[in-house]
Amino acid sequence: MTETSIEGMGGFKDEKFYRQESLAARSYGRALLAAAKADTRIVCLGADLTQPTETYLFRDQIPERFFMLGIQEANMIGVAGGMARAGDIPFAHSFCVFITRRVYDQIAMQAAYPKLPVKLVGFIPGLATELGVSHQAIDDIALMRALPNMAVIEPSGPEQIGAALTAALDYDGPVYLRLSIARGRPDETAPLVPLELGKGLVVRQGADVAILACGSMVAEALAAAETLARRGLSATVANMASLKPFDAALAERLAREHRALITAENHSIIGGLGAAVAESLALAGVATNFAMIGVRDTFAEGGTTPYLMEKYGLAARHIAERAEALCGRAGAL
Amino acid sequence: MTRNSLSVADLEARALALRKRVVQMVGKIRVGYLQQGLGAADIFAAVYFGELRLREDDPDWPQRDRCLLSTAHNTALLYATFAERGLIDPALLERYTEDGSPLEVNASERLGTLVEATCGSLGQGLSVAVGMALSLRRKHLPSRVYVILGDGELQEGQVWEAALSAGGHGLGNLTMIIDRNDMQVEGHTDKVVRMDPIGAKFAAFGWNAVEIDGNSMAAVVEALGKARETADRPTVIVARTLAGAGVPFLEGQLRHVASITPEDATRAMDVLNGVAA
Repeated sequence: MTETSIEGMGGFKDEKFYRQESLAARSYGRALLAAAKADTRIVCLGADLTQPTETYLFRDQIPERFFMLGIQEANMIGVAGGMARAGDIPFAHSFCVFITRRVYDQIAMQAAYPKLPVKLVGFIPGLATELGVSHQAIDDIALMRALPNMAVIEPSGPEQIGAALTAALDYDGPVYLRLSIARGRPDETAPLVPLELGKGLVVRQGADVAILACGSMVAEALAAAETLARRGLSATVANMASLKPFDAALAERLAREHRALITAENHSIIGGLGAAVAESLALAGVATNFAMIGVRDTFAEGGTTPYLMEKYGLAARHIAERAEALCGRAGAL
Repeated sequence: MTRNSLSVADLEARALALRKRVVQMVGKIRVGYLQQGLGAADIFAAVYFGELRLREDDPDWPQRDRCLLSTAHNTALLYATFAERGLIDPALLERYTEDGSPLEVNASERLGTLVEATCGSLGQGLSVAVGMALSLRRKHLPSRVYVILGDGELQEGQVWEAALSAGGHGLGNLTMIIDRNDMQVEGHTDKVVRMDPIGAKFAAFGWNAVEIDGNSMAAVVEALGKARETADRPTVIVARTLAGAGVPFLEGQLRHVASITPEDATRAMDVLNGVAA
C-alpha cells in the first residue's frame, strides 16, 4: 500500500479535495448531487464508505435524503426496494463486490424481479484494488447480466460518468453502475463521451482488428491500438459501456468488417463482455478470429493495479500481442 | 374502512370465516399451508379487518397502510383474507395454486399491489418494510407499515440487520408481528436453533417488544393499538400461535406442509361450522 493510502483507496479526501472537484459531468459525486437537486425522488443510501463512493457531497447538502445504513449491504438492498416501492429512486452504494455478489438474492427479489428503479452503484471493478481477493469484483458483470430486468453500465472513465448516470436514471428499472474510484482530479480537457443504453461507441476507427472494451480497459485498448499502429496494424476500438442491454449489432458489424476481434475487460472472461460478444456472434452465425482479454477463470491477489494488470494479462501490451497473433503476425504471443 | 371499526367479537367472526376458507382451499388441493393458516387466522383478521387503512377500489392509494408477508408462503390464509376484505374476487380462490393462476403458492406481486413486496426468500421482508417506513416518514405520510414474519425466519441474519436499522432510526410507523408457531421445515424451531427470548432481543435493539397469545383476538387488538401509540420506536409483537388453531384434531401438529384427506377436510369444516364432529 502506498503512503497516500487514503487517497489511493478512497478517492477524493473530503477536506483536501472538496474545492477541487471537477465538472459535475466528470465526477460521480457531483453528477449524483446535480441529479438529486433536479429530482427530489432521488435518495442516497450508503453502507459505510461515504468517501470512496463519493457520496459526501450528497450527505452534506441533502441530508434529509441521505441514509447511512451502516455495514449491512443485504439490508440496504431491501431498504432500497422498500423506498422505491414508496416512490423514491434509491442509489445504493458500496464496492462492486459487495453491491453485487454479497447481496445477489436480495437484488434478484427486491430490485430485479419487481423491476424497481433501484440504482446499484459499485466502486472498485475487477483487479483495481490493493486489498486483495475479498475486494476484487471479477464476476459482478456476469452476475448482474444474468438477472432479468437489470441494466449494466460501465463507463470508460470520468469523461463518461455524467452520461452513465443519466442513462442509469433514464432507465425505468434496476441498474448496476460499475465505477472506478477517482484517483485524482479528472482531466477537464478530455472531450466528454456520450452513453446510450444498448449502444456501443466506436472511439477509434481502424481496418484490421477490432477491440471491444469496457471501463478502464478502453484506455488499455486505445494504448494497444497505438502500439499496433506503430507495427503496421490498424485497430478499431469500441467502448461497450452498455453491457446490458448489449449492442449485439455493433459486435456483429465489427466482426464482419475486421480480420480479428478482441474483447478487453477488467473482469473474468466468463460471463462478462467477452461472453456477451461471443454469444452475440454465435447467435448471429458470425465466425471470426476471436480472443478474450480478462481474468482467466482464476482468483487474483492483493497488489498494485499495474502489477496485477501485468500479472493477469490485462495490460495494453497483452491486447496488442493478442491482436498480432490473431492477425497472423510473427513475434506475437 | 377505518381502524378499529369492528369489535373483538366481529373480528373473531372474521377469523372463523378465514379458517373455513383455509380448510376449503387446502382441502381442495389436499396438501399445503394448512397448520399455519389456521394458526395465524386471528392475526390476519385483526390486521386486515381491524387495522389496515386500505381502499378496495384504489389499491395504489399512496396513503394506504402497507402489510408485507415476509414468509410469503402462508397464502391460503393471505388470499382468503384478501377475498374476505374485498381486495380480490373470491372466485379467484377456486384457482389457488393452479397453473396460470395469479394465486401462486408463494405470494407474488403478479397479483397486484396488495402483495406489497414479493418475499419468500426468507429474511428480506423486514428490510423492505424499513425502507417503506423511512420513505413514508420522510414524506410525512400517515401510513403505517406492518410486516409479518415467521419465527423460523428469525434465523436469517438479514432480519437482525434490519432490526438494528429500524431501532436505530426509531421507526414508530413500523410494526412487526412474529408468528411464533414453533414450525419450520426441519421441525420445532427451538430444536433447530434456540430462539428465546425473542422479545428481549428486539428490545435490546431499541424496539418496543410485546409478547402475546396470538390466538386471543383481544390480545392481538390491544397489542396493535399499543404499537400505534408508540411513536418513537418500532414495535414487535411476538404472537404465540397454535398450529391448526380452531380445529382440535389438528391443533399442535407441527407440519410445515400438511396433507389433509377429503374426509378430514369435511370433519374440519364441520367443527368450524359448529356441527359435532
